[in-house]
Amino acid sequence: MKIFITDGSLKCFYTAVFYAYKYNGCIITSNKSVQLSFDSQVQMVHTEKDKSERVCSKIRQIDELVEDEIALVLRSADPLKEQIAFEYIKLLIKQNRPIRNILSNPTVLEMNEIRQQVAKEIHNMHGFLRFMETAQGIMYAPYSPDNDITDLICHHFIRRFKSLKFVIHDLKRKKAVIYDGCNWFLTEVGEAEIYLSEYEKTFETLWKRYYKSVNIANRPHEKQMKGFMPVRYWKFLPEKKDN
Amino acid sequence: MLDTKRLQILTESAKYDVSCSSSGSKRSNKEGGIGNASVGGICHSFTPDGRCISLLKILLSNDCIYNCEYCPNRADANVERATTTPDEICELVINFYKRNYIEGLFLSSAVFKTPNHTMELLLQTVIKLRKVYNFNGYIHLKGIPHADGELMLQAAKYVDRMSYNIELPSEKSLKLLAPQKTKNSLIEPMKRLQNAMLYDKENKIKVNKSIPAGQTTQMIIGASPERDGQILRLTEALYRKMQLKRVYYSSYLPVVQSPILPTKPAGLLREHRLYQADWLIRFYGFEVSEICDEYENLSQEFDPKCFWALKNMQYFPIEVNKAPLEMLLRVPGIGAKGAFKIVEARKFCALDFENLKKMRIVLKRAKHFITCKGKFYGANNLSQVKYCLMLEEKSKSCEQLSLFSTADTALSALTGEL
Repeated sequence: MKIFITDGSLKCFYTAVFYAYKYNGCIITSNKSVQLSFDSQVQMVHTEKDKSERVCSKIRQIDELVEDEIALVLRSADPLKEQIAFEYIKLLIKQNRPIRNILSNPTVLEMNEIRQQVAKEIHNMHGFLRFMETAQGIMYAPYSPDNDITDLICHHFIRRFKSLKFVIHDLKRKKAVIYDGCNWFLTEVGEAEIYLSEYEKTFETLWKRYYKSVNIANRPHEKQMKGFMPVRYWKFLPEKKDN
Repeated sequence: MLDTKRLQILTESAKYDVSCSSSGSKRSNKEGGIGNASVGGICHSFTPDGRCISLLKILLSNDCIYNCEYCPNRADANVERATTTPDEICELVINFYKRNYIEGLFLSSAVFKTPNHTMELLLQTVIKLRKVYNFNGYIHLKGIPHADGELMLQAAKYVDRMSYNIELPSEKSLKLLAPQKTKNSLIEPMKRLQNAMLYDKENKIKVNKSIPAGQTTQMIIGASPERDGQILRLTEALYRKMQLKRVYYSSYLPVVQSPILPTKPAGLLREHRLYQADWLIRFYGFEVSEICDEYENLSQEFDPKCFWALKNMQYFPIEVNKAPLEMLLRVPGIGAKGAFKIVEARKFCALDFENLKKMRIVLKRAKHFITCKGKFYGANNLSQVKYCLMLEEKSKSCEQLSLFSTADTALSALTGEL
């Protein structure tokens, strides 16, 4: 069996699709610790722009929304994401029409599920990300999302904060988006040393008090709270991290 | 700066306001400004009662001259009073917003000194936020009854949403329990706001639109004798004639001792059933007359959709692969999203029960009312169907009754689902 290993980028994935398409039963993955069987032939894929573009233009012709969907799915933490996206592309080309509503097909269901997971975490992080003000007036937000979404969520905050400088730091993947009030870029950041502004503590305390006061204590419903706001996100929320 | 003590008093006084939604507005950021509105709304946190925090919900003052019987802040009540200033509120909003704690402000107030004085302070606050602090995030402003109409219309230009609480479901109850508020002092401003919105629409006004996210209202359920049928007729009129975005129900809690108030809470099940019926009116194409007679209450045993279906078994079972969307929406257990999914998916091939399951459509209730490719998996006769549904409802309610929320209030907790 042939196994194509990509570097995890979108273009490399499309290049792999180009080469893998003609084989039956081959695998595309970016997972370097993939389990190999005896008969597997591993091929490392390097991005080739023209090959990747050919695949893109083909699928774009059939369904103009599919590229965005695949871009989202490849951000997932699911180890099978490339394979599922590959199966989806094969089905799309075979059907030669948009397939996202063929909900009787397992590939479509899997693809939709992963896509919705990533989209949901992006939406959640628009709400649950917490910034703190540093002594230099830069807003700093550490977090550790399930999926690789840092450069996807930053646009929301750029529109919102406009001239306010900020850093969104994915501690799990050791990368950060840095925005200087004008331009943004994604870069590797291991550990950051942060000096907080003198007001930070005050507003954090006010926020915690607000959180406590707005709750209706005689109508507890912890289960619903945890359902909407998963416990794994709590360590970055000032109102939750102490309990 | 606002201190923690006053923040606590002013928040605790505001927390029974149900609305928290930050949806419906597309306000964009301006040069040099901070903030924008997200049309679907964003929740920033959830409290242990299961409700979401989207907006900073706070009173400007809880020092009230009115004596509404049910209100913990009424003039005669012996509670701690606090008042803040427009600047203090602006400062708090901006600093919370920068840290992404909140999506915007929900500002309300007790009637402090006079209605006009209160409204002027509220207006000052929102103008300051927009013009001095350049804040373009979401603002929901509560209207003060009896305040000058011009002040209200001016405020409407700066905020995304306004609401006047109609408080109680009939004029008679309002007279008895909130004697200083009259029906007119609540309905008139709602009408004027509606006209202001219509004016903007007809004249295609795009900049400084009055309340782009519309208006909402809230009423207390169970403090007065009105039946669900009356409440729902009022609700339907508010949606259809006043074009409100939402009607919120707040189930009565006896926080105040009074000879003319019930001593028992109204119960969350009643509130929940009203929200279910409200949803059926807005999203499922039901008329109130189908759901509940005017002087009746909703069934406690069955949710309103089940109740309707059991009374109208002549329409069921329907074939999921053929039935029109309107009928799919009427199947107990199939929600709006589920119905749309079915309509899309069946274009490609006929669906069976396995397909529906994999599409995450819950069949526990629905199976009694549908066939898939002609096959029926439900119970054989009406009494058996009723029995199954009752068991289903009981197993749900054991968990839910003591608690705050169920599927639909869960939805209402999500700001995104307007």
